[in-house]
Amino acid sequence: MAKQTEKKSIWAFGTKQVVYAAIGAALYAVLTWAFNVWQIPGDGNVGIRPAIVIPMFFGIAFGPIVGFITGFVGNILADMLSGYGFWIWWDLGNGIIGLIPGLFKAHRLCGELSVIVGSAAGMGLASASEFWVSGADFNTVLLANFVPSFVTNIIWGLVLLPLLMIAYAAILKRSGR
Amino acid sequence: MLVSWNYRFRNSPMDHIDPRARFIFSFALLFAATATWNPIILFVLFLIAITWYLMARLTWKDTKVGWFMISIMLFTMIVVNTLITGGGAGGVVPPGGQLVWPGGFDLFGKHFTFGLTVERVWFAISQLMRILSISLAFIIIPYTMDSRAYGVTFSKLGMPDRLAYTMELSFRFIPTLARNFQVTLDAQRARGFELDGGKGNFIKKIRRVAPLLIPVTMNAIVSSEDIANAMDLRGFGEQKRTWLYELKFNWWDWALIVFSVLMLATVLLLAFRFDMRLFSVPGWFYGLFNK
Repeated sequence: MAKQTEKKSIWAFGTKQVVYAAIGAALYAVLTWAFNVWQIPGDGNVGIRPAIVIPMFFGIAFGPIVGFITGFVGNILADMLSGYGFWIWWDLGNGIIGLIPGLFKAHRLCGELSVIVGSAAGMGLASASEFWVSGADFNTVLLANFVPSFVTNIIWGLVLLPLLMIAYAAILKRSGR
Repeated sequence: MLVSWNYRFRNSPMDHIDPRARFIFSFALLFAATATWNPIILFVLFLIAITWYLMARLTWKDTKVGWFMISIMLFTMIVVNTLITGGGAGGVVPPGGQLVWPGGFDLFGKHFTFGLTVERVWFAISQLMRILSISLAFIIIPYTMDSRAYGVTFSKLGMPDRLAYTMELSFRFIPTLARNFQVTLDAQRARGFELDGGKGNFIKKIRRVAPLLIPVTMNAIVSSEDIANAMDLRGFGEQKRTWLYELKFNWWDWALIVFSVLMLATVLLLAFRFDMRLFSVPGWFYGLFNK
C-alpha cells in the first residue's frame, strides 16, 4: 500500500505539476537564451549551458515528469527564442536530463550520480540521433556531440545543483512546507 | 531584456496551412529522409523541402542565426569528417574506392597525396541533401507558427490536455521570467557583480553564475504556488479543456496530410521493399573523375 502511494506521487501530474513544469520550461528557455553567447568553439550545436541545471533541479524537486517536461519543452522554447529551429532528438535528450534525477530522487539514490547518469543518457540519445539523422560516424558523434555536451552538463550540474537545493530547502523551511 | 518571438504574420502560403498538417508533413519528411541513403530519393526529398521552405517566404535576415548554427554543424560533419578525415563516411561508405587524385596533386610547388575517394565525395553530397532537407523543414517552424497555436496543436494531435496546457502556459511565462532575469541582473550589478570578470579558478567562475541563477529560480517557484492555487480555484482540469485559439482544417490541409503519408509510405516501400535503402554512387558521377 505504501509502495502504491509512493508510485502515484512520483507520476502524479496535477495542477501544481502543470505549473511547475511550465515555469521550469520557461525558466530553462530564458536562461539558455540569455547565456547563448557562450558557445563551445568548433561544436555548432553544443553550447555551454549553465541553465542545464534547471531540468535537473526541477526533476529532483518536483518529480520526473516535471523534470522531463522542463527539459523537453524548455529546449524547444530555447531553440525557438534563439531561432535554431526544431530538433526533436535534442529536445528528448534534454527531457531525459530532467527525468533521470527525478527518478533517482524518488528511489532515494545519490543526486550527484543522477546528474552524471542523466546527462550520459540524455546527451547519449541526442548525440546518437546524429547516426541516423546526419549519417555521422562514431568518432564524430562521440567527439563533436557527446563529449562536449556531456562534460559541460555534468560540470554545471555538479557545481550548481547543490547550491539550488540549499536555496530551495531554505525556502521550504521558511514557508513551512 | 526584451524577449520577442520570431513569428510574424507574412501572409505567406505557410501562414494558411493548419499547424497540425505542418507538423505531420515535417515529421513525415524527417522519417523519409532518414530511412534511405539513395541519392535519387534524397534529391527528390531535397526538392520537396526547398519548395516547402520557399512557401514560408522567409528572408535571410530572419533565419541567418539558425543557418549559421547549421552551417557550422555541416562543416564539422561533411568537410572535416567526411571529406578531410574520411571518418564520417565510415559505416555507410564501403572501404576502398576510386581515388579523386590517384597520382596526388601539386600545390605551391609541393606534391601532395590525398586519399579522398569519389565515394566519399558523393556521400558528402548525399549527407548535405539529407541534413539540409531536414533543416529546411524544421528551421521555419519558429518563424511561421504563432506561439498561441502550440498548445492547441499538440492537444489536437493527441497530446493529453494537461501536457498541452503546460506548453501553452510556458509560452506565457517567458516574458515575465525574462523581465525578472533582467531585474535580478541589474540588482546584482548594482552590488558589484560581474559575470565574466574577476579572478579565481574554473569552479569559482562557474559558481559566479549562482547569484544570478538562484534568485530567478526561487522567485519563479514561489510565485508558481499562487498560480497553481488560482488555477485550482477555477477548477482547472475538471472538464475537457476548450482553447481560445481555434484550428480548422481546409481542403489543402487534408491534401498535405495525404501527400505526407504517401511520401513517407513510398520512401519506405522503395527503401525496404525494393532495396533502395543503401548508399550507392551513380555511374555518371564516376565519369566526372575519369577524364
